[in-house]
Amino acid sequence: MTTTTRTDEPDAALEVRDVSLRFGGITVLDGVSFEAPRGGILGLVGPNGAGKTSLFNCISGHYQPTSGSILVGGTETVRTRAWRMAQLGLARTFQHPALRLDATVLENVMLGAHSWLPGGPVAWSLRLPSTRRQEREARQTALELLERTGLGWAAGMPADELSHGLHKGVELCRALLSRPRLLLLDEPAAGLSHGEVEQLIGTVREVRREFELTVVIVEHHMGLISALTDRVVVLDHGAKLMEGTAAEAQSDSRVVEAYLGKEAAADESA
Amino acid sequence: MATTTAPRSTTGTASSATARWKGIAAVGVLAVALVVAPLVSSPYINYQLSSIAVFAVAILGLNIVMGYTGQVSLGQSAFLGLGAYIAAYGILHGWPGPLTLLLCAVVPAVVGMLVALAAARLRGLALAMITLALPIVGVPLARRFDEFTGGSQGQVVSWLRAPESIGLANDQWRYYVVVLIAVVAFVLARNLVRGRIGRSFAIVKENEAVALSMGVSPYRTKVLAFTIASLLGGVSGFMYLAIVQYTSPETLVFATSINLVAAMVIGGSASIVGTVLGAVYYVLVPVLAGQVNSSRTALISGAVLLAVLFLLPAGLVSLPRRLARLRSSRGRPPQPPAHPTTSDEAAQPASAPPAATTDQHS
Repeated sequence: MTTTTRTDEPDAALEVRDVSLRFGGITVLDGVSFEAPRGGILGLVGPNGAGKTSLFNCISGHYQPTSGSILVGGTETVRTRAWRMAQLGLARTFQHPALRLDATVLENVMLGAHSWLPGGPVAWSLRLPSTRRQEREARQTALELLERTGLGWAAGMPADELSHGLHKGVELCRALLSRPRLLLLDEPAAGLSHGEVEQLIGTVREVRREFELTVVIVEHHMGLISALTDRVVVLDHGAKLMEGTAAEAQSDSRVVEAYLGKEAAADESA
Repeated sequence: MATTTAPRSTTGTASSATARWKGIAAVGVLAVALVVAPLVSSPYINYQLSSIAVFAVAILGLNIVMGYTGQVSLGQSAFLGLGAYIAAYGILHGWPGPLTLLLCAVVPAVVGMLVALAAARLRGLALAMITLALPIVGVPLARRFDEFTGGSQGQVVSWLRAPESIGLANDQWRYYVVVLIAVVAFVLARNLVRGRIGRSFAIVKENEAVALSMGVSPYRTKVLAFTIASLLGGVSGFMYLAIVQYTSPETLVFATSINLVAAMVIGGSASIVGTVLGAVYYVLVPVLAGQVNSSRTALISGAVLLAVLFLLPAGLVSLPRRLARLRSSRGRPPQPPAHPTTSDEAAQPASAPPAATTDQHS
C-alpha cells in the first residue's frame, strides 16, 4: 500500500487508496479505495450523506484526507494544493454551478484557460502581442467548446439570463477548457429536465472520446449512471459498499438496503 | 463605456461594431478635452481637475483590491501618504523626478505586499481591521519621524515648475504631468482587469472554491491585488505632492480612506469608468456643498452620498442603464395612473422587458 510506483502511463487515471476523512469526531470517509481506469467513466453513487462529495473534494484537493493516498495520473496528490491540481490535468464541476452571473457566458468559460494561459500581471497590463494572440486563441477554443455543447448562441449573453440547466453546460465547458485528463462531475444531472439529461449523456460521451478523458461522476440519477458508466462504486456511511457495473449495483441487496433502509428492503424481497 | 452595455441585442456583430466605433470616438473626444481643458480654464479649475486625476488613481487602486477582487481595504490613505512622503523626501534631496516616481510606486508596493502576505490569510472583518490599522499607525509614525517627514508641521515642497521654454503656467504644466500619469495608470489597469489576471480577481471575489479548481490561488491573487492597490496608492501620493506641493500627517488620516471607499462605491465598484466618476464625486461634491452652505459641507455631502446609494446602488456608472430603463417605460403608451390592483402588478413585469430591448437600438 505504501509503495508508490511512478510510471509515465499508469493504467489508472485515478487511484484512491485507503482514504479516510475525519472532522473532529465525525468520520466522513472510512478507508475508501478504488481505481478509475484510463479512458473510462466511473460512477460514484450512494445515499445522501454517504460521503460522495467529500470524496470528490479530497480528490480535487479542496479537502485534505486524514489518511490514505490519492494518485492522479500516477502522481501522489494528497499534499498538493488544490489550485495546483489543474496543472496535473484535473478539472471538476460543482453540485451547484458557480458562475459569475454578471459576466458573459464566454467570459465564464475563459476562466478555464487560466492554468495554461501564460503571462503574469506585467504582461497582461501591457497587452503584449504574444499575450493578445494567446488570449484570442483561448477565446476561439472556448467558442468551439460552447458550439459543441449547443451553447454557441449564448456566448455573448450575461450568465444570469440562462437557465440552471444551461449553467451546468457552461460549467462543463469551463472545466473542459482547462484541458483536463481527469474530469470530476458532481451531480451533473441534478435539476435538469429529462431532455437536458439526454443531451448531457450525449455530450459527456462525446467529450470523453474526443479529449481522451477519464470521467468520474457523482450522481443520484440512476438512468444517467446506467447509460454512461462502465463501473460504479457505491458508498454508504463513508465506506465502500460494493463495486461493479451499474446493473450489478442496482440488483445488489446491500445497495437496495442502503438506499431504502432495512425494512423496506426486506419488504421488497418478500 | 458604451461598448459594455450595447452588444446584447440579437444583431450581435453589427451592433458591437458600431459600439466599438462609438467607443473609439468617445475616447478621441475625451483625449482632446483632456488636452484642451487646462488651456481654457482658470488655475482654480485646473487644480480641481488635477485633483480628480490624483484621487482617481488612488480610487483605481482601491477598486482593484475591493471592487474587482472583493477584499476589504480601509488603508488606502496610508499608501497615498507614503507616496507623498517619499516624493517630498526625494525632491528635497534632489533626486530626479522619474526616479522619485519609480520609488513612489515600488516602495508602497513592497510595503503593501508585505502587509498582504500576512493579511490575505484573513477575510472580512479581520482583514478590514488589519488594513484599518495602517493609517492609524501611520499618522503617529509620520509625526514622530520628523527628520524625514517634517513632523506635525508637514513639509512644503516647491517643485514641478513649468519649463520657461514651453510657455505654460505652473498649474497647466502640473495638470499635464498628473493627467499623463493617470492615463497611463488607467490604461494599464484596464488591460489588467480584462484578461487572465482580471478573471482570477473576479473569481476570487465570486467563489474561492471555483477559483481553486480552475488553478487560481486565492491567496496569491489577493496578495497581487493588494500589491497593485498599494502601488497605485503610492503613485497617487506622488501626484498629490505634485499639485498640492505640501504633505503632512493629515494626508494619510483614516477619514481619507473611508472617503475613498465611499467614492469608489458611489462611482461604481469593479468599473474603470466608475472609478473616474468616483473621483469626480470625491473632489467636486465637497466643493459644491461648500458653495451651497460652507458650514454644512459634511452634512450636504452625506446627503448626496445617501441619495446616490439609494437611487443607484450600483454606482453612478449605472446611471445610463437606469435612464434607458426609465425612458423605455415612459415611452410606452401612457398608462392610467397607478391603481395598485393585483392584475396591474401582474401585467407590468411581462410588458417591461420587450420595451427595454427594442429601445436599445435607438
